[in-house]
Amino acid sequence: MRRAKLYMDTVVDIQVVLGKGQTEEEAEAGIQQAFEAFRRVEDACSRFSPDSELMKACRHIQTPVPVSPLIYEPLKFAMEMAEWTDGLFDPTVGKVMEEYGFNRHYLTGEYLDSASSSADSVTFRDIELNERDRTLYLRKPLVIDLGAVAKGFAIDLAANALQEFAGFVVNAGGDLFAGGVNECGDPWKIGIQHPLQKDEIIHTVTISGEAICTSGSYERPSPKAEGMHHVINPKTKKSPNDWISCSVIAPFAMMADAFSTAAFLLGADSGERLIEEAELQGVLISSDLQIVTIGGI
Amino acid sequence: MAKMSKKWAVLCSTAIAAVYAAGYFTTETQASVQPPQQIQANSQASDAASNGDSTDSGTTNAQPTQQMQVNTQGSDSTSTGVSAISSTTNVQPAQEENKQASGGTAKRTSAKSSTSTAKPAQQSQVNPTNANASQSKGTPVPTSNNKTNSRYKDGTFTGMGSNRRGSIQVTVSIKSDKITDVEISDFGMHYSERDVEGLPQEVLQKQSASVQNVSGATYSTRAFEDAVRDALSQAANNA
Repeated sequence: MRRAKLYMDTVVDIQVVLGKGQTEEEAEAGIQQAFEAFRRVEDACSRFSPDSELMKACRHIQTPVPVSPLIYEPLKFAMEMAEWTDGLFDPTVGKVMEEYGFNRHYLTGEYLDSASSSADSVTFRDIELNERDRTLYLRKPLVIDLGAVAKGFAIDLAANALQEFAGFVVNAGGDLFAGGVNECGDPWKIGIQHPLQKDEIIHTVTISGEAICTSGSYERPSPKAEGMHHVINPKTKKSPNDWISCSVIAPFAMMADAFSTAAFLLGADSGERLIEEAELQGVLISSDLQIVTIGGI
Repeated sequence: MAKMSKKWAVLCSTAIAAVYAAGYFTTETQASVQPPQQIQANSQASDAASNGDSTDSGTTNAQPTQQMQVNTQGSDSTSTGVSAISSTTNVQPAQEENKQASGGTAKRTSAKSSTSTAKPAQQSQVNPTNANASQSKGTPVPTSNNKTNSRYKDGTFTGMGSNRRGSIQVTVSIKSDKITDVEISDFGMHYSERDVEGLPQEVLQKQSASVQNVSGATYSTRAFEDAVRDALSQAANNA
């Protein structure tokens, strides 16, 4: 069975393959739980709702704010990736994103302008996470963007709710986790979208029990500046353009999500190396449509 | 290097465990385990949640109370976080949304009457923090709704729109002036072409974007905006 809802400005499409003795009612319940994961993560992590847990927390400067695991965990992952990429991947890029027009709520159409200014230079080092107290501490006004981890995190939580079924796919607009097998009993065939020819597949991979996430420049251009899109290098404040699409396969969607974004930011060579060193598989497509595959796929 | 690559996976599994440990999904899991009482359990959970969830503090279920209480205290010093919102953000007022809704965009297909396709399952989800502009007046949202204050009626509303693939239908659930759910109600139309056996390889390849699962840069929901707006326009309290 298959259902689709809108979350996090994308279509979340969930399909379940029933195994022996598994009923549609069970699948229905599992799917509801899976969607619930998206709702919770979006409520907590949205940069577009002034009263999400994240945006509320960001209004407190120089004071430790206790945060729920829905914020703490993806943020922690983002911080690790920021450290790993020496700040090229950086969750404090939120204010820059607002200024490039990525500040509109997809359902209400409302715009959000946070108090901080991107003229103040901030980096991930202006965030402190306290592991013991589970608190967030901001040294300066800044806006945290969890766009490269939150969706993956929601996918992982949703997948967790569907593990019992013979097969399932949680597909959040192109970032997905495929568990088990399809209706034919085979691992899932996933087509990687051609960056320019939208209805075409440029490469196919086969996965089971893994996530694949794709970062690309072609779907979300900045409404304010030409040549800019939603992946922004926090140091140059420009959108990288070595790659046009980076797909990464990983055991978790949050991982695939972050790595595909990081590879995109790191550009040619470094992006490849990042994926290789993490022993992951990937398909990277350059702006002139050269395809680089990593990890033997 | 192998150790390095493991650390990411460990971070992910720990993250998932942390969310479950805080009890975020326990209620639903327990509810779904007992088939006969399943529906009851769900609606109980939603009733409990809806009673408690009037303000924008973000607390929904009773379940992970400890964690949630800590949040409320820490993340927002006053319960009327609404005033903080109006001072620091520049949210476009509700009027914009209303104007578009009532004025009517040229593309919109004929509106269906509301509440015709209400699906109980959706209403059990209470409350994210979307669509909040009506609260910028500074008063907490009242628990019992559907008074003249509210911008929208509670319930589920169907909206129609179109994208490059054809027409779209969405079902929007609203409670206490917040959009709690947006389901694509005619999903079968666009996304499942099950009858592809027997098609030649080329055709399959071309169509595969619509038949397989596709990984691509996540496309936005812009194409659904007309449909969502259509649904909202029917939910609007035209006072």
